[in-house]
Amino acid sequence: MARVVIAPALARWLTASPGHNVAEVAITVTASTVREALDALFVIHPVLRGYVVDEHGTLRHHVVAYVDGEPVRDKTTLATALNADSELYLFQALSGGML
Amino acid sequence: MSDRFLVSTKKGLFPVSRNGTGWMMDDPSFIGENVTLAMVDPRDGTWYAALNLGHFGVKLKASKDRGATWTECGVPAYPDGAKFSTFDGKDSQDAKLKLIWALEPGHVSQPGRLWCGTLPGGLFRSDDLGQTWQLVESLWNVPERQFWFGGGADQPGLHSICIDPRDPKIIRVAVSCGGVWTSYDDGASWELHGQGLRADFMPPDQQYSTVSQDAHIMVQCPADPDQIWIQHHNGIFVSTDAAKTFTELPHAKPSVFGFAVVVHPQDGQRAWFVPGVKDECRVPVDGKFVVSHTRDGGKTFEVITKGLPSEPAYDIVYRHAMAIDSTGDRLAMGSTTGGVWTSDTGGDSWTLLDARLPPVHAVRFI
Repeated sequence: MARVVIAPALARWLTASPGHNVAEVAITVTASTVREALDALFVIHPVLRGYVVDEHGTLRHHVVAYVDGEPVRDKTTLATALNADSELYLFQALSGGML
Repeated sequence: MSDRFLVSTKKGLFPVSRNGTGWMMDDPSFIGENVTLAMVDPRDGTWYAALNLGHFGVKLKASKDRGATWTECGVPAYPDGAKFSTFDGKDSQDAKLKLIWALEPGHVSQPGRLWCGTLPGGLFRSDDLGQTWQLVESLWNVPERQFWFGGGADQPGLHSICIDPRDPKIIRVAVSCGGVWTSYDDGASWELHGQGLRADFMPPDQQYSTVSQDAHIMVQCPADPDQIWIQHHNGIFVSTDAAKTFTELPHAKPSVFGFAVVVHPQDGQRAWFVPGVKDECRVPVDGKFVVSHTRDGGKTFEVITKGLPSEPAYDIVYRHAMAIDSTGDRLAMGSTTGGVWTSDTGGDSWTLLDARLPPVHAVRFI
């Protein structure tokens, strides 16, 4: 089972009153690619779909995905392979900031 | 008079309410987040807030308990293959939701109906209170859309949606830059209106092209729906025939540039503006923040300073950031520098709210 970790900046949007002291959320899924892992994540947390990918299914420009410590470069097909013990870490880019 | 309004700011949504001693700030929502617009549905009291989260995209939230808790709505999505191009020669691009720029409830006879205007120019309709949205393809596919272009933003934006109080199937929208459009059949087909609008930023032979016009905001008088006002990129315009034709009012004081206009709900001759220096400058004239008011359909304008800061005051009020309540006596506005003012005297005098807020995008009465 691969592990998907959602950083606090994303996990806070799972609450009805989004606060700023939210811990990361981790789930385990059966998936062999990043795309399959995200699809499984969106079944459990459907709200997150629009936060992680855009309306065409591409990873949002300022969302970063790491697999086992390496950044995912294929942001459109999301075909990067996962092992049974892989960790997919989803977090916000430091770019894209607004004052 | 309405005793509560919502202030959408770059760093959160701030409800403001009135008690016996004056206006009070209520608990904010979405602190730190960019709230671009809010709307209250008079049919069921639901609050809607549009957020532009940057990293995580554009969101629409709904609250049925006055902001205590929020649920996620759907957001408009452009279909695969949808593109927009701009008439100023830039390459066409894939259409993706950039911003929710207008949000209006449907008529009471259309339960579930919401309308949403967006960048890059799409009008969307929901019939399930925002859970799902459909692009109004009849407007998206008008041949004239090839002549739309961005005004301020890089993309065309649909910012004004006026549902005719006489017949909810009659819908008027304004696009920056793409002119004024009317549908008489609930959005099935559209006519380009707005004769008389003038765009001084276009080459001389195209200044009266109806599709090239940059209305900053368009408002319709509820009790006199043929009376429609536009604060335009380079002028103030009024229509007495429901946006078919407009008359320019070049004598408006102290300038004709601005973003906001509101119209009195019962008296279509009365409208308020917050003028500035055009157009690359965008500051109050001589650094003096004022409101202008016409009571006679634009024949004359009165400049109001009572209760407003003395110069220098470089506040600008954006297109959605001035509001008038259903009585027409109470107004509220918020500025780019975080000031919020209210008036209980039909705009003749103003009172500064005792708060310094983030830059204000929008103000809406409840």
